Amino acid sequence: MTNYLSISDILVTNEKVPCKFLHDLPKMGFLDPSAADDDLKAGTNVEIPLWLAESLFSRRPPLVGVDLPKIYKETYREILNADACTVDMHKLGQHFYELGCYIAKHDIKGEVATTLINTFQQRFRMILSASVSTDSISSFQPLSASERDRTAAAMITEAALSGWLKRGDCPLTTANMVANHRKRKRAEMEML
Amino acid sequence: MDPYEIEFIGENRIVSIIPNFSYDKIYLICGEFGPFRAGLPMNVPLWLAVMLKQKQKCRLVPPDWMDLDVLENIKEEEKRSRFFTKMPNEHYMVEAKLILGAASEDIPRAAEIKTIIKDIWDIRMSKLRTSMDALMKSGGSYGRLDHLTMMEINSVKPLLPAAMDELYRIKMMTRKSTPATLNTSTFSQSGSSQNI
Repeated sequence: MTNYLSISDILVTNEKVPCKFLHDLPKMGFLDPSAADDDLKAGTNVEIPLWLAESLFSRRPPLVGVDLPKIYKETYREILNADACTVDMHKLGQHFYELGCYIAKHDIKGEVATTLINTFQQRFRMILSASVSTDSISSFQPLSASERDRTAAAMITEAALSGWLKRGDCPLTTANMVANHRKRKRAEMEML
Repeated sequence: MDPYEIEFIGENRIVSIIPNFSYDKIYLICGEFGPFRAGLPMNVPLWLAVMLKQKQKCRLVPPDWMDLDVLENIKEEEKRSRFFTKMPNEHYMVEAKLILGAASEDIPRAAEIKTIIKDIWDIRMSKLRTSMDALMKSGGSYGRLDHLTMMEINSVKPLLPAAMDELYRIKMMTRKSTPATLNTSTFSQSGSSQNI
């Protein structure tokens, strides 16, 4: 993930994060589209890519203060901790986990880290059910980029396995009575 | 790994056949087999047995576990236990599929056996899925794979290890940067394990 040449890592570090400039920067006004001046004033809030924010932040003294993107803010953290499965990650944070790893150190309270892990653990179930689901589009939709990759890989295994089970002179099949049994249906429902 | 590769590995299991022809010993990479005596039971690898059966050159002796009562017991045991029970055979699914496919007339009550094996497989697969979810939820750092067969382990293969890797990576990356005073117990229950 943190490989220098990793495409997904490049995409992640290209995500914009809100930053607050702590010093006056001459000739840097172009960073802020709404600025009239050539110079960037201290205290301006601008969204800049993470790679730029990181390098400005690591200067001594730091030139910017990095703020949390909205999905990592208190409100969204509460939603995620309550039920992460209801959140549409595709819309809200394509690279939720990857960006979160970078962002976590700018969170003073350190709650982002816990939220990331909680979210991952809760949403694993979605990957699991999406990989066996026949209605793949609607179950695929709310997944983030890395979750989609993982689901696609799981689907390939699943397809290979069911292909193997079906092929041959005598496919092994479940008895009708068993498949229609209420208990079993319930067990499957509980699983998903 | 592809299921067919596992089938290939499973084909090396030894099964009993009763040949209807006589022949000298044959020398194979996996060992020497024979001599073949018509009417006398002997052991050969599964792939050879299936091949001979397809050529109508032998009759397959059903393995001990391929018996309705035995399988019924296994199924009950599997239903009762929260964990996975020991299967009579490391490649039970492969063996059942090949033997029942090629030589269902040699196995008494083949149709019922077919169904019950599939039932056992379904029970185990659904157990595997629920315990995978429970493992991730509980935040255990490893799962025990006791009594799982190769085919079953393979069915969770890219997903579970990748997810656990990712989770570990998130933990490591975020932990480094968080201050030491943070309450770490909420996200590191590394001691707890899950039977999967």
